[in-house]
Amino acid sequence: MNFKFALRLFTSSIGRKTIMAASGLALAFFMLVHLAENLLLLKGEAAYNGWVDFLLSNPLIPVAEIGLLILFLAHIITGLWVRYENYKAGGFSKYEESKSQGGRTIGSATMIYTAFALLAYLVYHMIHFRFADHSVGFYQMVTEAFRNKLFVSVYVAGALALALHLSHGFQSAFQTLGLNHDKYSFLIKAAGYAVAVSMILFAMLSVYFLLGMDLRFAPLSAPKVLETVIN
Amino acid sequence: MEKGFNITLRVWKKSQDEKDGRFETYKLENVIPDMSFLEMLDVLNEKLLKEGKEPIAVESDCREGICGCCGLVINGDVHGPDEHSTVCQLHMRRFKDGDIITIEPFKASPFPPIKDLVIDRSALDKIISAGGYVSVNAGSAPEANSIPVNKSLAEKAMDAAACIGCGACVAACPNSAAMLFTGAKISQLAILPQGNPERTSRVLNMVKAMDFLGFGNCSNEYECEAVCPKEIKISNIARMNREFLRANFICEEDPEMPLVFHKSTVDIPEEE
Amino acid sequence: MKLNSKIPSGNIQQKWDNYKFSAKLVNPNNRKKFEIIIIGSGLAGASAAASLGEQGYNVNVFTLPDSPRRAHSIAAQGGINAAKNYKYDGDSVYRLFYDTLKGGDYRAREANVYRLAQISNQIIDHCVATGVPFAREYGGLLDNRSFGGAQVSRTFYARGQTGQQLLLGAYSQMMRQVAAGTVKVFSRREMLDIVVKDGKARGVIVRNLVSGEIEKYCGHAVLLCTGGYSNVFYLSTNAANCNISAAWAAYKKGAGFANPCFTQIHPTCIPRSGDHQSKLTLMSESLRNDARVWVPLKKGDKRKPSDIPQEERDYYLERIYPAFGNLVPRDIASRAAKRMIDEGRGVGATGQAVYLDFKDAIAKQGTEKIKEKYGNLFDMYYQITDENAYEVPMRIYPAPHYTMGGLWVDYELMTAVEGLFALGEANFSDHGANRLGASALMQGLADGYFIISSTLPNYLANASFGKAETTDKEFKECEESVKSKIAKLLSAKGNKTPNEFHRQLGEIMWNYCGMSRSEESLKKALSEIPKLREEFWQNVKIHQDSRFNQTLEKALKTADFLEFAELLVKDALERKESCGGHFREESKTPEGEAKRDDENFSHVSVWEYAGEKKEPILNKEKLEFENLKPSVRSYK
Repeated sequence: MNFKFALRLFTSSIGRKTIMAASGLALAFFMLVHLAENLLLLKGEAAYNGWVDFLLSNPLIPVAEIGLLILFLAHIITGLWVRYENYKAGGFSKYEESKSQGGRTIGSATMIYTAFALLAYLVYHMIHFRFADHSVGFYQMVTEAFRNKLFVSVYVAGALALALHLSHGFQSAFQTLGLNHDKYSFLIKAAGYAVAVSMILFAMLSVYFLLGMDLRFAPLSAPKVLETVIN
Repeated sequence: MEKGFNITLRVWKKSQDEKDGRFETYKLENVIPDMSFLEMLDVLNEKLLKEGKEPIAVESDCREGICGCCGLVINGDVHGPDEHSTVCQLHMRRFKDGDIITIEPFKASPFPPIKDLVIDRSALDKIISAGGYVSVNAGSAPEANSIPVNKSLAEKAMDAAACIGCGACVAACPNSAAMLFTGAKISQLAILPQGNPERTSRVLNMVKAMDFLGFGNCSNEYECEAVCPKEIKISNIARMNREFLRANFICEEDPEMPLVFHKSTVDIPEEE
Repeated sequence: MKLNSKIPSGNIQQKWDNYKFSAKLVNPNNRKKFEIIIIGSGLAGASAAASLGEQGYNVNVFTLPDSPRRAHSIAAQGGINAAKNYKYDGDSVYRLFYDTLKGGDYRAREANVYRLAQISNQIIDHCVATGVPFAREYGGLLDNRSFGGAQVSRTFYARGQTGQQLLLGAYSQMMRQVAAGTVKVFSRREMLDIVVKDGKARGVIVRNLVSGEIEKYCGHAVLLCTGGYSNVFYLSTNAANCNISAAWAAYKKGAGFANPCFTQIHPTCIPRSGDHQSKLTLMSESLRNDARVWVPLKKGDKRKPSDIPQEERDYYLERIYPAFGNLVPRDIASRAAKRMIDEGRGVGATGQAVYLDFKDAIAKQGTEKIKEKYGNLFDMYYQITDENAYEVPMRIYPAPHYTMGGLWVDYELMTAVEGLFALGEANFSDHGANRLGASALMQGLADGYFIISSTLPNYLANASFGKAETTDKEFKECEESVKSKIAKLLSAKGNKTPNEFHRQLGEIMWNYCGMSRSEESLKKALSEIPKLREEFWQNVKIHQDSRFNQTLEKALKTADFLEFAELLVKDALERKESCGGHFREESKTPEGEAKRDDENFSHVSVWEYAGEKKEPILNKEKLEFENLKPSVRSYK
């Protein structure tokens, strides 16, 4: 048996980037689902908790969690690895006068910073929600957190970092996976920005609760499609 | 005759013994706008030589933007402020009286410095020798028109083949990656039917050589595309990535070739 | 000097085949025992290294720049000729042969030129197979254009970068052999001398341009692929690194120098803008396909070109040469421009230019079409001159571009020194007194890919090689002479830079031995050059560093140019006829056109080195024309 082909995913630059890109895209997809779930908060306690209960009743959830963990680890490890290689290659502000040549964006130039910010935020997020006391009920736990100014400011920062990270990461992953063509590359770029901007909804949601708007408005009714999925 | 103007130059100087260099400042008077940037440096060097000072080591050859020999970072701009051109095509009319111009060499670990603004870019040749060719012996080729090539594909191959090997993509890359250079050659030969039989081994070996020589990883910031004098597109990098995945997961395993490089005048220790 | 051109027997169509059959072969197992030294990595050098490496010889390539891909072949724009007759417009090997020989004003060897035309088709096949992205038609087949005065479409091209694509093709084939272990590339090396032992070229002395060390290499044959010497004029379209040094070293070791006065002045270059000018940039000849060349009718007309009405313009090429119009060969177009300028009708601030006008072409075909064809050239023109050629006509002026003269070689490309070969522009063989457009690339690749790989084995198989090592006294002597020359330069205490000497030499050459030459001007040059050379050795100033030192490199090149220039002028003086790129004021028709003298000058002038401070000896190789009768070139 010859496993050289699979090994190259780890031993070559493009292989590592492929892992980073593929895991990144998967994580971006996860974030979109996560966002959709969070939006259920708008529909009120019953709807949100009902969905969470439905999820938790699935026996495959621990497996999915491990999968998610692997995705995160793969993304983080290959990301750091690639970064170290790039450091060795003599990159980063090589010149006395360093300036963009016109290719970089704020998102791309800050990838490593948003990455570390997200990592820190991830740990915080896990402590706060994943390993927290779930007995008060999920809706209660989340909305309570969202009424805490300090928490919301961290949460907003995390969401913005994520948006920035994805503004480059999404289309970059497609490029790395070889999916770039003059015909549709602008569509991928646009989709990347749309995904990035949608991450701001996380932040808006927390602010919504912080300002107590949920108390002022009745729970929103979800669009018809979502309704049928939930029920 | 046009009237000249005065400039101040801050030039990176490094002797052959030093590990690192420093900036030295020179004043130059009566710079004619019609001069090319390199002619301005010629004038400065003539002046320095006459004054008994050491001239600045700087490389150029064809001075018409095709040989890829010149390459400087001018005020932080790779190949100078003009878009998609080489240093030798830059003219002094882009500057004005009193300007302070900072000149640095291209920097990247796989491009060891030699002296002042002169660096060693033989690593790029080594990437080519790992597979940037079609294996066909002189005299054995079939009639040229026996394989038709779609015109727009031929144009695409030509777009990629226009690379002049100046190394600006590596110099501009925040990661010192050579993926635009490598991707361009892989693309040219992947698009043309003539390169098809060796597609698999080519991409695997060239990527291996690129990694081995210490170039960085592409983080898709597209600085390379922005400076490339020949406007080579990053879709070539995407194609290389595609070729790489294809070679790994779709194609039969081709025997791997050992990397044999020529020796450059500046030895890279890993290679010995 | 014995000049045996070794032309094979048989009729012209069979000579090359006859040669290949009679040539001795080297057993494949024995090939790796032969060390071949190649100087230069341009089209000829890289392709020779590739083809010899493929056959299994051990090849060592030495090149000046950091990478072999920088060689100046890369700057050729227009294309490469081949007698494929894909357009079915009456082309054939015989017609390409005829055009090349006639274009060269019947000063080349028939057999060599015919072989070149024969091989031209193989070159295209090979280049396509190696991945050169030639232009294609919609049907997917190769496209051709007509070029440089040819009446058939036989020029293959890759945009305006044909030289680049062909060089990169040859370079990649060479790098393939590097990976295969048959070729070694030594970059940043300048060859300073050739070592001859027992009458055979057995090695070279090179300078490592980084460490400054003098290195010795031993081999069984030395191939010079070092290009031409247009830089003797200081301002030319050649790259800064192009020089005569390697060929000059060969000349001093006994290789004859043939027809040094045959230099080509290209008609369409961007004129110089001032004293700082370091090189001239060529605008592809293909521009003349659509543009019209003109000057004002009135002398000293300083009006803007757009203010000069149609009837006050002189489209002089169309007027004088109605059959070919703006497409006359290079030498004709250059001299016509010079005549206009000499009449005081030059344009631009310096008066040293003529107009190349696209107005009519744009009106007829539209800006888009012109942009598609020549966009990169218009951009280049804009970058250099800051003028938009879509709106105002280009200003052009002739500039030295190519040198047909070079080391004398026989049919096998071997010089008068056994084992020393010269390929590409470095030899004299195929272009006679004038080279046609798109023929240089053809010759470089023919020599490297297809000819040397057949002729070198014949030499290797026939010669008996004694022992030679780099410790031999021949090597030591050469090393010493090179070292003392460098030491002399490094200890010079003058106050003029090598560049100033080179520029001064260029002025002498351009003024007295440029586009037109007279006995008087040549004699003037002959009196000036030795003075300048003497001054050089007494008054040159270079930076004193024995390692990486560009002023030393420049001084070494200039020193050789200063010696060579004199030989060029002597040859020009000796050749009292006008032919091709060589125009003698004394030999012209009443209309001012070149007048050839076949009775007295139908020969190759081969100059033999007689020793320092001695007059070189002139040898003549008579040119025999069995197939084509020399006729007067007329483009009227």
